[in-house]
Parts: sequence; structure tokens; C-alpha cells
Amino acid sequence: MAHERIVRIHSISKKLLVGLFASFLVVFLFFHMSANLLILLHDDGAAYTAFCHFMGTNPLVKVAEVALFGSFFIHIVLASYLWLCNRRKRPVGYHKRSRTRTAAASKLAMITGSLLLICLVFHFYDFYLVKMNVVEGLYMVKLEELNNSDINEDAIWTADEEGEYKEFTETGLRWFEITSKTNSDVWLNNLTKEDTEILQQVYRNINTEPDFYHMAHEKFTKWHIVLCYLLFFALVGIHIRHGFESLFQTFGLNNRRYAPVIKWCGIIYTWIICLGFSTVTLGVFFGL
Amino acid sequence: MNFTLHIWRQKNAAAKGKFETYKVHDISPDCSFLEMLDILNEQLIHDKIAHPVCFDNDCREGICGMCGLYINGRPHGNDDGVTTCQLHMRKFRDGDEIWIEPWRAKAFPVICDLVVDRSAFDKIIQAGGYISVTTGGVPDANCIPIPKDVADRAMDAAECIGCGACVAACKNASAMLFVGAKVAHLSLLPQGQPEARQRVKKMVMKMDELGFGSCTNILACEAECPKQIKRQNIARLNRQFIASLFDGNRRDDD
Repeated sequence: MAHERIVRIHSISKKLLVGLFASFLVVFLFFHMSANLLILLHDDGAAYTAFCHFMGTNPLVKVAEVALFGSFFIHIVLASYLWLCNRRKRPVGYHKRSRTRTAAASKLAMITGSLLLICLVFHFYDFYLVKMNVVEGLYMVKLEELNNSDINEDAIWTADEEGEYKEFTETGLRWFEITSKTNSDVWLNNLTKEDTEILQQVYRNINTEPDFYHMAHEKFTKWHIVLCYLLFFALVGIHIRHGFESLFQTFGLNNRRYAPVIKWCGIIYTWIICLGFSTVTLGVFFGL
Repeated sequence: MNFTLHIWRQKNAAAKGKFETYKVHDISPDCSFLEMLDILNEQLIHDKIAHPVCFDNDCREGICGMCGLYINGRPHGNDDGVTTCQLHMRKFRDGDEIWIEPWRAKAFPVICDLVVDRSAFDKIIQAGGYISVTTGGVPDANCIPIPKDVADRAMDAAECIGCGACVAACKNASAMLFVGAKVAHLSLLPQGQPEARQRVKKMVMKMDELGFGSCTNILACEAECPKQIKRQNIARLNRQFIASLFDGNRRDDD
């Protein structure tokens, strides 16, 4: 049957697809970690904020974002499907638990992967869902945008009986408080949801963006969140320790000559990712 | 040495099996594992306790691949690089409890007690693990130059005896190490190269069809292979499989 020929995928092809989408995620992690290191620059978040603005507004990044989420989705769905299929290949299990010496990272890949998925949900709740306007966080707005925007004077001043504006309303006072607190000449940042609502009452058509720099500082000053994130990075490390070498093996790039090089590259890459992410988290916690 | 044996007993493929416990006494440390089972069987026959335990064996020299038992959580037991027949009782401690199970895999159904049907491996070989070119008469020894390194790698892969320990050890019951070794020893040498791409596809398709799992690179197969076949053979299999997907010269392979 023609449709059976199309739907039937060889076991190796399934694994190749899992690996292909994982390779995109492995590269993305390095990119994410490098960007996070900008938080540690002593510039009050100028570089990191500029980077976040670029990432939030560039159309090509939007395309890459779709590709990234697609990769996550396909990697998770295919890996779970493979796991389910493989479970059926041994209907009766062994009585004695396996005592074969294998790398724990590989044996536990499904467990670390599942735990990572749970961690990712929390990570998204902390940061990404703010961008999607699902969860409240901290926001920022470009000062240039405020300067070029018309002020809704009704929202600031109270008009007297003759129609002349005389004094600030409560909104106006809050607005004054908000606009005077900025210490950046580019961004008005560290704004709460309420702040942005007041600004939007005063200025027409302004775009607010998530302030990931201050959100990171808000989160990573709490020890229990830092601890959770360090465990998250450890899980990422264990998963990549399996994934990195596995990629080369699946794509057939492993041979006797390359094997030790691939192994050491995997170990070094894992440590770079883990230490990079942890440095940012601990750096913010200790105020470095 | 004395041992307590917990052995999987199953009358036939359709019957429900269970573990039975037997005790063996005065076993020599130099006794092989299969000899120890022979002693148990003699005891069972003599004492009329039960039917003798069925287990596969043939050469008892570690080269035929017939024997294969899952002993205390490891295929071929607690020694590295040996088959069950080459495992000696000195590797155990006096008074040990030993759990003996058959290979467990959908593709290796249990026939009786510890004997499993491994004809799935034969079917994979029948699907493509051969060279069908007409070779003619015996050529002169040096008329096809093969680098020593290549010949060594082909020979290393050809060491695979098809015992099925790779499938038994793998969490997914995957036969990738077996297929990788067979594909490698044929495709590394000039005689096997013309059919390399069709071969790999046919063997992988047959492997999937017979109910083996897919490889998730845990590499328990490599750890338990009595012939120490290396993971690079699986990488070569993957490489050749990818190449076969882009092979424009398709013949009877799909």
C-alpha cells in the first residue's frame, strides 16, 4: 500500500530526526548561555537590554523562534514516541535488574529529558510567558518613544470649571514618579504591569517590552530560585552529556580516530554550558 | 563451591513460566557455567525431581554463539568478553544465589526454559548479509590489495558470533550492534562494497520488521558483547544507512 510506504519510517530515520532537531537545541543552548553572560557586564544592563530588544523585535528572530519551538516539540514528541515503541520490544522484562555498566547519562536520558520538560515549564513561566503577556513581570519602554508620543493631558491634569488644567491627578503623580526614576538614557525600565498601564493612559500608542534584565535580578536574588535553577542546569548538563556524543554516533560521524575527540568535546561543551548558565545565576545572586 | 540457582522454567512457548530454585553442591571453581548446569541436570534426572533444564549450547569454546543466558542481571554473566560457556564458577563466591533467565526480547521468543528462538538473526542475514556477486575461481592472494588496517577492522567486526547478547543487554532490545557488525565486515572489504547500500537498507528494514527496538546510544550492547564489537560499527551502519537514503541507484531494495 502506497500510504504504508510513506508512513513507514525506519528505526534509524526516527533516531536521525530526534538527533537532527536536538542538534539545533544544542547550538541554541550555547547562544542562550552567551547572551545571558551579558547580564554580568557592569553597564546597568544596557548591553543585555539592547540584545533583548533586538531579539524581541527582529523579524528573522521570530522565524528562528518558531523553528526553535518546532525543534523542541518534534524532539520531545519523537523521543517519547521512540521510547514508547521501544518499551514494546521487550514485553516480558528481566527479574534481575540490569547490572551492565553503561553511562548513567545515556541510561537516564528519558528521565532527565522528562525532568527538563518540567523545568522548562517553570522557566517559561518565569520569563517567556511575560513576553507572551500571559504572566505579569517587569517591563521597559524606550524613552525615545515616550518623547515622540503625545501626552494625554486629561490623564495628568485636572481641569477646573473653566476648562483649564490645574493640578496633577493621581495618575499624573504616579506618572511623574515613574518617569523620574529611570537611570538609563535609553530605556525607562523596571516597570511593573501597573506602571505600564499608567504610562499607556498618559502616552498614546507606546510599546512596552519585557525587562528581562531586572526580572533576572528579581528572580536570582532569591536563594530557593537560584537552587532550583542550578539543579536545572545540572539536568541540562547530564542530558547534553548523552546528547552531544549521541549526535555524532547517530549521524555516523564516530569512528576510532574521532571517538576520543568527540568524547572530550562533549565533556568540555557540557561544562561550558553548565558553568556559563550557573555563573550568570550565581553572579546575580552574589551581586558580582 | 555451593550455589542456590533460581532458574526460569517454561514448558513451551505458550506456557507461563516461573522461577524454580535448585541447590548445587561441591562444584569445582574450574567448572564452566554450562558444566555446572550439566551437573544440575544430572542431579535432576537422577533424583527425578524435575525435567532437566533446557539451555542452548554447542561448541563450548566461545566461538559458535549458541549459548546465552542472562545471569544475575548481565548477559553471559559477570565476566567481560566471554560467552556463558567460557564463564567459570570461580567468578562467583561460594554460597552465591544465581538468577538465570533467558534472553528477553519480542524478537527472541522463549521456546523452552532458557532456550530462545534466535532465528530472527538468521532472517536479517538472509535479507542482505551476503555477497551475491559471482566471484569466479580463487584469485591470486595479492591481486586485490587490502590495507592491513581495513582488513583488521573487517576481521574485528566479523568476530560477531550472533549470540544475541547485544539484544539481551539493550534496554530497547535493539539489534544494531549485530547488524552493524555484519554490515561492517562485508562493506569494509572490496567484495562486499558493490552491494553495500542495498544491503544496509534491506537488513535495517528486516530488523525493524522482526520487532527489534531502535538504538538510543546507551551502548549496553558494546559493554556486554562477548566479542567486544565496538560502537563504531553502529556509527558505520548509521553512516551507510544515511548514504543509502540518498542513493539514486535504487534497485530491488524498496
